[in-house]
Amino acid sequence: MLMDFARLGWMRWLLCATAGACTLFLLAPLVLLIALSFDSSPWLQFPPPGWTLQWYAQVFHDPDWLASFITSLEVGSCVTVLSVLLGLLCGFAITRGQFRGREILRGFFLTPMILPSIVLGIALYSAFLWLHIAGSFAGFVIAHLVLALPFSVVAITGALEQTDKSLEDAAMLCGAGLWEARVRVILPAIRHGLFGAALFSFLTSWDEVVVAIFMASPTLQTLPVRMLGELRQDLSPDIAVVSSLLVLATALLMGLAALFQKESAR
Amino acid sequence: MTQAFLELRNIRKNFDSFTAIDGVSLQIPRGEFVTFLGPSGSGKSTTLYVVAGFIEPSAGEVLLNGRSLLGVPPNHRDIGMVFQRYTLFPHLTVAENIAFPLRVRRRPKAEIAAKVDEMLRLVHLSAMRDRKPAQLSGGQQQRVALARALAYDPQILLMDEPLSALDKKLREDLQSEIKRIHAETGVTVIYVTHDQEEALRLSDRIVLFNHGGIEQIGTGEDLYQRPASAFAAGFIGNSNFIDIEVLENRNNIGDVRCPDGSTLSGVPLMGRTQTGKAQIMLRPEHIRLTAEAEGIGGHVTDAAFLGDVMAHTVLTGWGQEIMVRTPRQMFMGPPAGVGDAVRLGFAPADAFLFVPH
Ligand SMILES: Nc1ncnc2c1ncn2[C@@H]1O[C@H](COP(=O)(O)OP(=O)(O)O)[C@@H](O)[C@H]1O
Ligand SMILES: [Mg+2]
Repeated sequence: MLMDFARLGWMRWLLCATAGACTLFLLAPLVLLIALSFDSSPWLQFPPPGWTLQWYAQVFHDPDWLASFITSLEVGSCVTVLSVLLGLLCGFAITRGQFRGREILRGFFLTPMILPSIVLGIALYSAFLWLHIAGSFAGFVIAHLVLALPFSVVAITGALEQTDKSLEDAAMLCGAGLWEARVRVILPAIRHGLFGAALFSFLTSWDEVVVAIFMASPTLQTLPVRMLGELRQDLSPDIAVVSSLLVLATALLMGLAALFQKESAR
Repeated sequence: MTQAFLELRNIRKNFDSFTAIDGVSLQIPRGEFVTFLGPSGSGKSTTLYVVAGFIEPSAGEVLLNGRSLLGVPPNHRDIGMVFQRYTLFPHLTVAENIAFPLRVRRRPKAEIAAKVDEMLRLVHLSAMRDRKPAQLSGGQQQRVALARALAYDPQILLMDEPLSALDKKLREDLQSEIKRIHAETGVTVIYVTHDQEEALRLSDRIVLFNHGGIEQIGTGEDLYQRPASAFAAGFIGNSNFIDIEVLENRNNIGDVRCPDGSTLSGVPLMGRTQTGKAQIMLRPEHIRLTAEAEGIGGHVTDAAFLGDVMAHTVLTGWGQEIMVRTPRQMFMGPPAGVGDAVRLGFAPADAFLFVPH
């Protein structure tokens, strides 16, 4: 092969060095942030004069941080469940349905991905004002659902397309009704797609801030919204702690995803 | 007439403006092994899917024991099917796949276990019961699919080119296995294939499809010995078509002229023409290579020894290649070699006459 790694000679070292530099460049800010969260100086001094866990203790005992953490989890979970369910129905419609404009519909489902989120935020906010659900939990979930659904539709449609329709037919001839066949045979067959859809939906809601700013109220704030609010006042070690926790949570989710991939590859 | 077990009456199916099948009528007695044979796109699968209930015909009737099946959804038709693609449920083991239709039917546990064992024995896969489909070869997967399709003792078993993805040797093994299973279970089978050899080997009767319609129905021997059309003659077995002109018609026996001007008498016209342009079809094994002065002249362009037969290709004076097969015991002297001038001899009664539309 032309690009065989072992035969690149001295170029190998160049390649390794470049890869290393890129990794460092990507990871350095995160490492800095995590280091700051253990910084004993309240002014985020770097390099840290000493190490402490007191900021972590402070965040864990702060009811406001905890409340926004719970809100984020709740919104994210509702969005995930709804997004996967709706994505599944859309996926069946797009891949198995026989009606005009299927391809158009499919493209239409992707529009929230390409629209600037600030525009979506404004549009949803004005619509919710009119519907009297601005600042409510339901409004928050619906807004994030709009953002998450495209990922879910893409992941599930892709998985359904790779699953032969004859699998469904076979299950039906075995005596299963259409939806029984789909639940008992198709869902297990597309479980990676479902898992991907859930993961992306959750992450979309979890770290979304632009639309969330429009949806938030003083009593209903997700973690990123609260972080932004906090930052406006001052740069406290709390921010570094919460950010580090967010990184940790994301890393855990990614690890879970990798495990799942490995399991399903077998 | 006694009522047929399964009957298709004048089935038509349009996809938008395209007519995939038109006027398909067929009666199948219980326990028969029927094969739908025909080129790709001739409407075999569409007809099969109409029987299965996945395609609703635009017109016509499907009757089982005299009762219409059309309003009955696929899951209540009591039909088993093996598909062209592998359709084992990937998350279930072999045994669980076979048990699936029985679980769906909420049969008692003990009955399911006994039936799964019986089915695994039927397809000789008892050792594989705990494997996942991905751990099986293509042939094994289709055998499990067959076991799953038969597990609930369906009245009818449909198979849509189940062996087309397998190599020749495996295909032949599975053909004998399918034949044995048909004999053991007595299930009524409709089998789709585009492979004439497979159809001849398996079937009680063959339904020959062409352009969305039925060209001929009969046993393999019927189709080979008495093809109803040039298409049937060309599709089953090897054949040579020669353009001729019918000069004389005496009581349905004709004198014909070949393209090189030579004439033959005694060709059965089968009531298909009076005089004028037509074609005769000759099976390669009905032609002899002779040194006589009579017959169509040509020279050998290819000669191959195939064990029990010698296969020659002869280029005629008008530039058509004719296939000739001579059984070993008919060899007289050394067989003709490439370049030899030969004459083609045959009994005029062996020629089939067709009139192209
Ligand atoms: N869902 C469909 N939509 C449009 N045309 C179809 C559809 N299914 C089959 N056809 C057409 O109908 C014809 C017959 O198809 P099929 O029954 O699958 O043929 P076979 O199984 O003999 O190869 C083909 O020309 C095919 O393109
Ligand atoms: Mg087909």
